[in-house]
Amino acid sequence: MEKFIAFAIKYGFLIVMAGSFLGFGLLESSFWSWSNMFSILLSVTIVGILAIGVTFTLIVDGFDLSIGSTAAICVMVSSYVMVVLNLNYMYAIIFALLAGFSIGLVNGLLIVKAKIPDLLATLGMMFLIQGLQLIPSAGMSIGTGMMLADGTEAEGEFAEKFLFLGQGRLFDLIPIPVIAFALLAIVAYFILQYTKWGRILYAIGGNEKAVKLAGVNVERYKIAAYVISGTIASLGGILLAARIGRGDVTSGGGLLLDAVAAALIGFAVLGVKKPNAFGTVVGVIFIGMLLNGLTMLSLPYYTQDFIKGLVLVAALIFTFGLSKSEI
Amino acid sequence: MQRKPLIRAVNISKTFGATKALSDVSFEFFSSEIFSLVGANGAGKSTFIKILCGYYPDYDGEIYIDDKLVHFNSPRDAYEAGIQVVHQSIEQGIVQNMSVAENLALEQIVSPEANFVYNQKNIEKEAIEIAKKMGIEHLDMKQNIQDITQSEKQMITIARALAKKPKLLILDEPTSSISDKEAEVLFETLYRLKDEGVSILYISHYLHEIKRISDRVGVIRDGKFGGLLQKPLHVSKIVNAMVGDIETSIPSDYDYDSKDKKVVLELKNLVIDRSSNPINIKLYEGEIAGLIGLIGAGKTELAETLFGIRVPISGEIIVNGESIDIKNISHAIKSGIHMVPENRAVNAILPDESIKNNITLPFLDYFSKKAILKKEAEIDNANRMINSMGIKCENYLSSIDSLSGGNQQKVVVARWLLMKHNIVILDEPFQGVDIKSRKDINAYLRESTKDSCVLLISSDIDELMDVTDKIIVMNKGRILHQEKTSQIDRDKLLGLITQE
Repeated sequence: MEKFIAFAIKYGFLIVMAGSFLGFGLLESSFWSWSNMFSILLSVTIVGILAIGVTFTLIVDGFDLSIGSTAAICVMVSSYVMVVLNLNYMYAIIFALLAGFSIGLVNGLLIVKAKIPDLLATLGMMFLIQGLQLIPSAGMSIGTGMMLADGTEAEGEFAEKFLFLGQGRLFDLIPIPVIAFALLAIVAYFILQYTKWGRILYAIGGNEKAVKLAGVNVERYKIAAYVISGTIASLGGILLAARIGRGDVTSGGGLLLDAVAAALIGFAVLGVKKPNAFGTVVGVIFIGMLLNGLTMLSLPYYTQDFIKGLVLVAALIFTFGLSKSEI
Repeated sequence: MQRKPLIRAVNISKTFGATKALSDVSFEFFSSEIFSLVGANGAGKSTFIKILCGYYPDYDGEIYIDDKLVHFNSPRDAYEAGIQVVHQSIEQGIVQNMSVAENLALEQIVSPEANFVYNQKNIEKEAIEIAKKMGIEHLDMKQNIQDITQSEKQMITIARALAKKPKLLILDEPTSSISDKEAEVLFETLYRLKDEGVSILYISHYLHEIKRISDRVGVIRDGKFGGLLQKPLHVSKIVNAMVGDIETSIPSDYDYDSKDKKVVLELKNLVIDRSSNPINIKLYEGEIAGLIGLIGAGKTELAETLFGIRVPISGEIIVNGESIDIKNISHAIKSGIHMVPENRAVNAILPDESIKNNITLPFLDYFSKKAILKKEAEIDNANRMINSMGIKCENYLSSIDSLSGGNQQKVVVARWLLMKHNIVILDEPFQGVDIKSRKDINAYLRESTKDSCVLLISSDIDELMDVTDKIIVMNKGRILHQEKTSQIDRDKLLGLITQE
């Protein structure tokens, strides 16, 4: 029995995932097509990218609630730069990344230097950014031809090359955002598994005091984790802007919870019980696959959040509930 | 006259999976006695205690209270039957953010029969009643629990245990987190409770303490009954019963007559804080020096200054002839000053991480090239330390949580002996460490201290006398005395430590 539970904790999640992959395909053969595979991946890339960012903060035993709104404000920043300021798309990317970097830095400083608890600091930051993103465009979405405050029309537009980041495909098959997601996931996995930085980030999450007493500048690493989270979120924002092709004020909704759920589901993958890049990626793909498959089997869209919640709770039971209780 | 035992545990056995943790262990506890239970880490001591306390309902054998057969299905059962336990960690026994009175009367506050409306006056009256049992009614009941000393907190947990008039009071490592002076207060209390008829089951790693206060000592060895010792007790006999024949003291082989001794660490007029006197110490190549003093004497502050945690007010720290200005911890490590901090669980252990990751933590720069970890080098070095310190584990990948306390401490010590260093400071390295592991750590310290030196901070005189070459006494922020261990008189040393 104990062996079975140990096996279930370790491989249970992957087995369920493989099972549902088989099941959906058998029930609906178009599920297995290449185009559907990539459509699943494309549907989860933005959330997946954000989830990788939040994984870094979870690893240092922190939390970043501002990732969703960071992505959203970066949608607005890049749109504003191209449409209103009529600048080159490269500026749009640079300004959006800078915005994400700065938000992460401020989060890090609030938590490490001002000693505000992580949840509260990033909650405050989330509100602040949500409000801030509305100000330059007076609460309206940004698109070519929109009316500006001085009565003129915005003349800039989304560059083709910028839109390619969100809508283009490699070999007419693989979406560019999926490639970006894959590259980011590989880099994050490598850093966390094979470098001293990853080792130290995990160590900080385990026992911050011990790491400090081992001569490590813990504050710097913690700030770095939030900077990474913010910058990755801005990357998600850029890809989102490129995909929708306009500065939609409502684009950030739902990103945060989906990303956090994916990272938490990642705890259960291979039974590691820790935030980890591989698990996060598996978690986000699992949700995407489940929603895609169930939609094909004509599950109504309004049940989607319920399904996500169900998966998250089940994964948390795998992670925490089945492990041996200690006295 | 043959006294009747209060509680009898008869042929207690317990298996976990395939391992037999306890087999046929029997002990009897009488009223008005202090019974100490000893055993090396992993011998089965805590399993036995947990069965007595109802944590493991699944055991073989019988427990009798007043000749009545009982079986505990939960800690609650044991508690109702009159077995009270005060756990090792004081913090676990108190509720932060509550007042002294609320902590004392906790049982009344949380009990299902408690009034729905919280009556502060009643709680305080109740609390004073409970406090009287331990003679701590003088405490300010309204005070926040965080503002009182460790020893007072401990008194509160014991008072609470006594409130239910227990038949057996179990004290698990009660002295591991209080000072010598506070321990004396505890012992006085235990003698008083004993005179009042309480039966006390005492668990400790400090054998000298056990020798002093116990009426009888029960030994568990490798899960079996290891012996029952009566007064007069001798530490050597207790050790013998616990682990067989091992020599615990490592003879000092330091040659004080040698002419060309090299000074490794010199402290010149080092002033740590405004109220303390200048400190002057010289530590030589190959020397193991002990630093002893009461809590508040300035030992920890001195260690923290050397390790870059605090900045001295004035004076010099000279390492191998070079005066250094230690700015922070990483700078101290680069200058070859390593420190094993006290309280490994809080200050040193990375939970859930492997032995290897725990050992190499401070030296990841050395074990990586362009930030990419060199796993082979890490594994080789971790294995070297596992072998040379005798860390009992499956392999270097074993989680540190799977090790016994003594082996965890070996890992923490190994972390700081791994790389070449000039000085290693060990702050209370023997807290909660069994005698066999202490012996291993001491032996490896002696063996590895060749061109470096060791500063061993402890409040345990006997431990220091077993392993050091010289002992430095600190008292109220100044160095009161330094002497070769071989010439030291224990009583004189005790006098110097406690001198007002």
